[in-house]
Amino acid sequence: MAKILVVDDEEHIRLLYSEELSEAGYEVITAADGYKLIERIETEKPDLVILDIKMVDYNGLDLLQEIRNKFYNMPVILCTAYDTFKEDIKSIAADFYVIKSFDLTELKKKVATALETHIPSS
Amino acid sequence: MFEAEVNPEDISKAEFVVAIPSYNEADSIAFPVQQADRGIESFLGNRKSVIINCDNNSNDGTKEIFLGIRTNTPKIYISTEPGVKGKGRNFRNLFQKIVDLEAEAVVVVDADLKSITPKWIKHLGEPLFQDFGYVAPLYVRHKYDGTITNSIAYPLTRSLYGRRVRQPIGGDFGFHGKLAKVYLESDTWSEAIANFGIDIWMTTLAMNENVPICQAFMGRPKIHRAKDPGSDLGPMFRQVVGTIFAMMIKFYPFWSQVKWSKPTSIFGFGLGETEMPPPVKVNKETLFQKFQQGFKTCTHAWENLLQKETFNKLREVKKMDADRFDFPTNLWISVLIDFAVGYRDKVWKEDELLDSLIPLYLGKTLSYVKKTERMSVRESEEFIEEECVQFEASKSLLMQCWGKGA
Repeated sequence: MAKILVVDDEEHIRLLYSEELSEAGYEVITAADGYKLIERIETEKPDLVILDIKMVDYNGLDLLQEIRNKFYNMPVILCTAYDTFKEDIKSIAADFYVIKSFDLTELKKKVATALETHIPSS
Repeated sequence: MFEAEVNPEDISKAEFVVAIPSYNEADSIAFPVQQADRGIESFLGNRKSVIINCDNNSNDGTKEIFLGIRTNTPKIYISTEPGVKGKGRNFRNLFQKIVDLEAEAVVVVDADLKSITPKWIKHLGEPLFQDFGYVAPLYVRHKYDGTITNSIAYPLTRSLYGRRVRQPIGGDFGFHGKLAKVYLESDTWSEAIANFGIDIWMTTLAMNENVPICQAFMGRPKIHRAKDPGSDLGPMFRQVVGTIFAMMIKFYPFWSQVKWSKPTSIFGFGLGETEMPPPVKVNKETLFQKFQQGFKTCTHAWENLLQKETFNKLREVKKMDADRFDFPTNLWISVLIDFAVGYRDKVWKEDELLDSLIPLYLGKTLSYVKKTERMSVRESEEFIEEECVQFEASKSLLMQCWGKGA
């Protein structure tokens, strides 16, 4: 069972994602902010991270950079309420992005694709 | 008098190299050399560095200009033998020099660059001292600059090898010194690679070596001698696309296992506001005419190379007038797949096969130009990203056709 780490400062989003993604067959763990996120990833070893871009004390795009530099192949899906983040070049380090919605169909599709992605070792 | 190497300061070891390949660039090489020197001084001053001009024995005084520029960084000039041309051959000399110098990191910049700043050297060079093996450039380009990249090199490379490297033939990039040995020892060298195929070859080998790749944001657009996509195509198109097809044969065991694609790390921020690129003019009429002319000169080749269904769809596209013209992305993908399989199976003489792809590429370019005419640079980037997803989704079609043809 693939393990997903949801990082979002809104409790209702964490609950919604946890519930729906668990029902879809994933193991879900959550974090309410970016505090010690790298250590958390090191310890928990998730297969994928769903990351909110705009959190009260953290910039998701900066966290994305940290994740990408430390865990080169870690799938990361950015979640946002607005698509203006695409103006920031840092966003292309994400595997995918989704606009936040209560309908998680798009998110689940992206999660499945990101987990399916494969590049062989040479 | 011909000199294969001029090394005024007798440099025998270096940690960091900035290399500038050239052929008759006397009027432009001074600027990138000066910027490279400033970049080294400001950001990599603690590294033993050298600037190398790898030249095709230019007869316009490139060597004299290069060696005459006052720099704080030592310089080395190396050249191919008289009469021996090709960007790739310059690189081959460079790879050997990198091995001899035991350099740890190498940054390459084009000799005709007008927009390079010292920070380009930092951004392309620093990641190589931080575990990255290959650094590709990320610059804002005008939506009509780099159309071979946009419609062939980027989407194909991304869907084949699974890494999203936006400028795989960027011309300005960095690589770890260890890769120089890999490049020297590769058994894939060809005439096309010895020329303009060199950039895509280096990127492809880096991907197949699975070295960590990052893309460095340059802040300023690439300003150089940009070309109208409808003109000056021939040799460069053949060499780049021919190299992509040739690499597909060699690296089938790798790319056949790749599913979807992954991003890379991004390096280089804090450059302030991003400068927008100057416009590139496109002659839509010429693109349309050259596409139509293809049906007079290439029909026989297309009938042999393309699957019947694909050829029939092309005939439907031909019937469209210029105002309504549309070359659908899925048709373009089918064309590229059929040409790649035809290239492998030697269905048509190599040069003629690649030449016969040009009118179709120009048709696809016209379609892209029409669809993106009212789009901003960012919107056109999103359009290309969507096309890339279609390329990735067509991987199973590629596998099927590749398997059938074998």
